Amino acid sequence: MLLLCTARIHPVFLLMLLLTACHSPSQDIVLTFSSSAVGAEAEVLQRQLARFMAAHQGIQVIQRVTPDAADQRRQLYVQWLNARAGEPDILQLDIIWTPEFAAAGWLLPLDSFAPPREAFFPMTIAANQWAGQLYALPWFVDVGMLYWRTDLLAGPPRTFDELMQLVTRARTDAALPFGFIWQGARYEGLVTVFLEYLGGFGGQIMDDRGRIVVDSPAAVRALTAMRDAIYRDGAVPPSVLTWQEEQVRFAFQNGQAVCMRNWPYAYRLLQDSAASLVAGKFSVALMPATADGSPTATLGGSQLAINAHTDHPQAAYQLIDYLTRPEQLVERARALGVYPPRPALYDGSLLAGVFPVPPDQVRHIIERAVPRPVTPVYAELSHILQIALHRALTRQQDPTAALADAARAMCALLERVDLSPQAGP
Amino acid sequence: MSRNTEESLARSEARLAWLLVLPTLAILLSIALFPLLWTVWESLHLHDLRMPWRGRPFIGLANYAEALTDTRFWQAMGHTAAFTLVSVTVELGLGLALALVLHHRYRGRGLVRAAVLVPWAMPTVVAALVWRLMFESPVGIVNAVLTDLGVMREPLVWFTHPLAAWVPVILADVWKTTPFVAILLLAGLQTIDPTLYEAARIDGAGPWQQFCHITLPLLRPAFLVALIFRTLDAWRVFDLIYVLTGGGPGTATEPIALYAFGVMFSHLRFGFGAALSVLIFLVSFALALLYIRALGREGRGVA
Repeated sequence: MLLLCTARIHPVFLLMLLLTACHSPSQDIVLTFSSSAVGAEAEVLQRQLARFMAAHQGIQVIQRVTPDAADQRRQLYVQWLNARAGEPDILQLDIIWTPEFAAAGWLLPLDSFAPPREAFFPMTIAANQWAGQLYALPWFVDVGMLYWRTDLLAGPPRTFDELMQLVTRARTDAALPFGFIWQGARYEGLVTVFLEYLGGFGGQIMDDRGRIVVDSPAAVRALTAMRDAIYRDGAVPPSVLTWQEEQVRFAFQNGQAVCMRNWPYAYRLLQDSAASLVAGKFSVALMPATADGSPTATLGGSQLAINAHTDHPQAAYQLIDYLTRPEQLVERARALGVYPPRPALYDGSLLAGVFPVPPDQVRHIIERAVPRPVTPVYAELSHILQIALHRALTRQQDPTAALADAARAMCALLERVDLSPQAGP
Repeated sequence: MSRNTEESLARSEARLAWLLVLPTLAILLSIALFPLLWTVWESLHLHDLRMPWRGRPFIGLANYAEALTDTRFWQAMGHTAAFTLVSVTVELGLGLALALVLHHRYRGRGLVRAAVLVPWAMPTVVAALVWRLMFESPVGIVNAVLTDLGVMREPLVWFTHPLAAWVPVILADVWKTTPFVAILLLAGLQTIDPTLYEAARIDGAGPWQQFCHITLPLLRPAFLVALIFRTLDAWRVFDLIYVLTGGGPGTATEPIALYAFGVMFSHLRFGFGAALSVLIFLVSFALALLYIRALGREGRGVA
């Protein structure tokens, strides 16, 4: 009886559904957008999304809140994308995730939309490519920089030795708890700091042919310098080995340190005299270097990509295109102090006074920024390196042995996944 | 009643019993057995989400071979075993003491019993965060108290020392799960017939003799139950360490469950991660069997 009933009702129901679908005005496309959205960043984004929706009748954008911590957001993405969920339609990606997600088939290639690749910094485009196709457009660029106290130092240190001397002296004179602080917890941030030391000592993680060279003498010297800064010079507190960006920023903001290594986002927050004790008393510079290397900034930043299983690829690209246009990027830069990925914006007066140093200098720093290896197994490579670095810095292993272990494990990984330089991708 | 009708009645009753149990069985199979078998099946394949072009070939026991030759796997197993041994031993000792105190009759006993359960009721992640705050900073409460008391000359960065990092981990676990052990043992204490103590007193046994010859032997079944629960729980420790140390410094406090989690959700190696999960399960299962046999023998001994 029950079965009969449903069988009778079913077609009628369907017909009704069809009729209502035909008669109602065209249904709005609903896009879900997952990005970081706290504080001032959320305000700017909401303004931009409202303008986008006003300009694109019929498209509605809903924000899907995700954790701000990169690792947690990535894990959430992995769960959604691996389950082939169609939402969120648009994803904010860290620069190191694009090749991995693209290789897994989770992202939509953007080439068919004819994105203006040449309008962006070439390195940011290269980092968003996999197997010759573009999978994401850069939203903002991050570069690691040295923040230094203008009231305690006459100028930024140029070499690591000078950094140690100046910081130690200034710290004693001003009776500060810390000299130099950086991100030393066992996470991706530690790798970005190491990359800057590494470049300063003339080393690399991978050479141009894709071979692992992270155990080179230059790399050992770089890691030894980081370790000596803690235990020999006492300029870096051992606490940094549990610190991420925000702990480092808070310490510097409270006037507890002479120098810190951090990303551009910190600038705006440190300039806010209501919360910061160092407003107007600091500037930024490139990280120091030795004669063997050159001042290095790690390239980071956020990208916008489209979920491969989205129902609305065209609308999703329209949103990405809108958010990466010069006007929106300039608005973001002015409100948040983050660096736009379009080099042309640094000409002229558009961004004058927005950054701690003149725009053309910022562009210079970005153009020299060093990307991390572009590979779908980057997360695992980095994890191996994080463990080795942290072991060496917590004195469980000496730098030579730790880096040799890391190099061996990284080579084994590339071999296992058939991505070693001999085999090629 | 004839034998025939009796038999058919019994048969129909058995049928009804099966019918009634069937939904439960189906649920058990689908939520316990199916995922387990799926994980075993997965562990026999190369399944790497990062490289879908490699497909999902059957590779036999290769994932297991990799795990068993992996130093990080053995380190993680060692960490987990040491953590389990130390934390469970302390928890059972303290839990017993707490249970004896709670068993005593005094004013406000109900209130004390409820208060003791508070740590157990708190979400692990919240508890872990609180413990991390207490230990993390050089001006955190632990460092402040220890330096003020003169135990340490200068603050220790607990989480950067491979051995010291275990201190907050063990303390937090003991703090959180001792109440659970105490409640289990308290239940055991309450089943002991008070006349036994009376008889012992008449025979002239002192409190210590009563404890050794009555309380301890009769508490053993409850003790074993607590031991099984705590050992299996400690063996799978994850959230506490994930929040407190993240497995660091380096990998000095990494338990096996955290390693497996990283392999799966950070490195996206589902086949290898499944093999690790199966190995964790096998050890838990072996421990459970061992305890159940011990418990069974104990039951016979008491009878």
